[in-house]
Amino acid sequence: MNKNDWILIIIIIFISFSLLLFFKLTNQESNQALVYNDNKLILTIDLTKDDKYQVMGLNGEVDIEVKNNQIRVTSETSNYHLCSKQGYISKSWETIVCLPNKIIIRVTSLDQNYDVILR
Amino acid sequence: MKKIITLFFLLLLTGCQDQVFSKDLFYMNTYINIKIYHHDQELVNKTFSDIEQIYQEYDQLCDRYKKHENNLYYLNNELEKNQEIEIDKRLYDLLKVSKDYYLKTNKFFSIALGNVTDVWTNNKELPSYEELKASGSTDLDDIMLKENYIFSKNSDVSLDLGGIAKGYVNNIIKEYLHDKGIKKYLITSGTSSILIGEHYQNEKYRVGLINPLESEKIYKVLKLNTNSISTSGTIDNYYEFSGEKYSHIINPFTLYPDNYSLSVTVIAPDPILTEVLSTTLVLLPIEEGKKLAEKYDVEVIWFTKDGIIETEGIKNYE
Repeated sequence: MNKNDWILIIIIIFISFSLLLFFKLTNQESNQALVYNDNKLILTIDLTKDDKYQVMGLNGEVDIEVKNNQIRVTSETSNYHLCSKQGYISKSWETIVCLPNKIIIRVTSLDQNYDVILR
Repeated sequence: MKKIITLFFLLLLTGCQDQVFSKDLFYMNTYINIKIYHHDQELVNKTFSDIEQIYQEYDQLCDRYKKHENNLYYLNNELEKNQEIEIDKRLYDLLKVSKDYYLKTNKFFSIALGNVTDVWTNNKELPSYEELKASGSTDLDDIMLKENYIFSKNSDVSLDLGGIAKGYVNNIIKEYLHDKGIKKYLITSGTSSILIGEHYQNEKYRVGLINPLESEKIYKVLKLNTNSISTSGTIDNYYEFSGEKYSHIINPFTLYPDNYSLSVTVIAPDPILTEVLSTTLVLLPIEEGKKLAEKYDVEVIWFTKDGIIETEGIKNYE
């Protein structure tokens, strides 16, 4: 093998490992909440920043608040206001379902200890 | 030649990397998350869309409140006519399985509680037994199933598949994934049931069970693979009357949510069995429940009203 072969091999090794690293990094879940409207992802919310959001549900606006790594619905257009009554959620897999509005909010922070939690 | 071999092995390093693919769905009033670990994105996308189609199909078929072609809503209305009705083969099979479980659980698992469930859901005040009884028939014995035909001796029975439909669909999906050769997956339905294959990275899945008395705490961790796990309980699903919580699991004999346990978790390979038995075992005293668990070879964890934890055969998962 001559010098060029070695260069090629080194380049390929470099590409391989950077791809490997890329996939590993992109697979990592962060501390975030996903908001769905009728099965479609409409918003990704960073839970590390306190903020307020508004999305449109089937019946009207749904107001969302993020505070201290937690997320909740503050107001929504529905008869029973079940999802604002639910209060804050923050743990991985926890979900707020606003049924009349077809809005779902799910926390996806990666809990190292469990793959899934049942209740 | 040497060059080619080296290149080949280096290419192996870049390709064939298993990845996590995730898909969220909302069917049967339930939020569903599917995770598949695979290297072939095209296959996974096809799988996701096939699975969604299965959920969608059964979502419409089992809908009690909205009419779709030959679905449960339609059937409940047709039953009022007191004649034999030919029904969709898929719905027939599901009803047949449901009635079999009714008999296997000494009539504790019933899909004929639609009338009573409606009263519990819509009443402003705690319903009395008389009120519940007056809401209509709750007797599944009145329903006859034969060769794709259904007949009801009682015209006002209202069928409700909410307690079995999710497990039934998960069983179809489990077989589908098996046929496709997909082994590494995790399907979460709501907060109370999962279907797992092998773990993508570790040896086993770690499943945490939430304490029904302190919902911030996990009271048990299970380590396992390739199974279905269903939890039934009172944490998320209840009726509320003047500040008092009542479980959504109704005893077909008393028409009231007379629960022995706050939470019951059942583990078995069959998702229909875990779904049906977890609901049934909430209503049964532990000793009676243990007999049923042994009979069907399932593993169970009970969290009783007094906060006592009882188990049946879960040693391998601890």
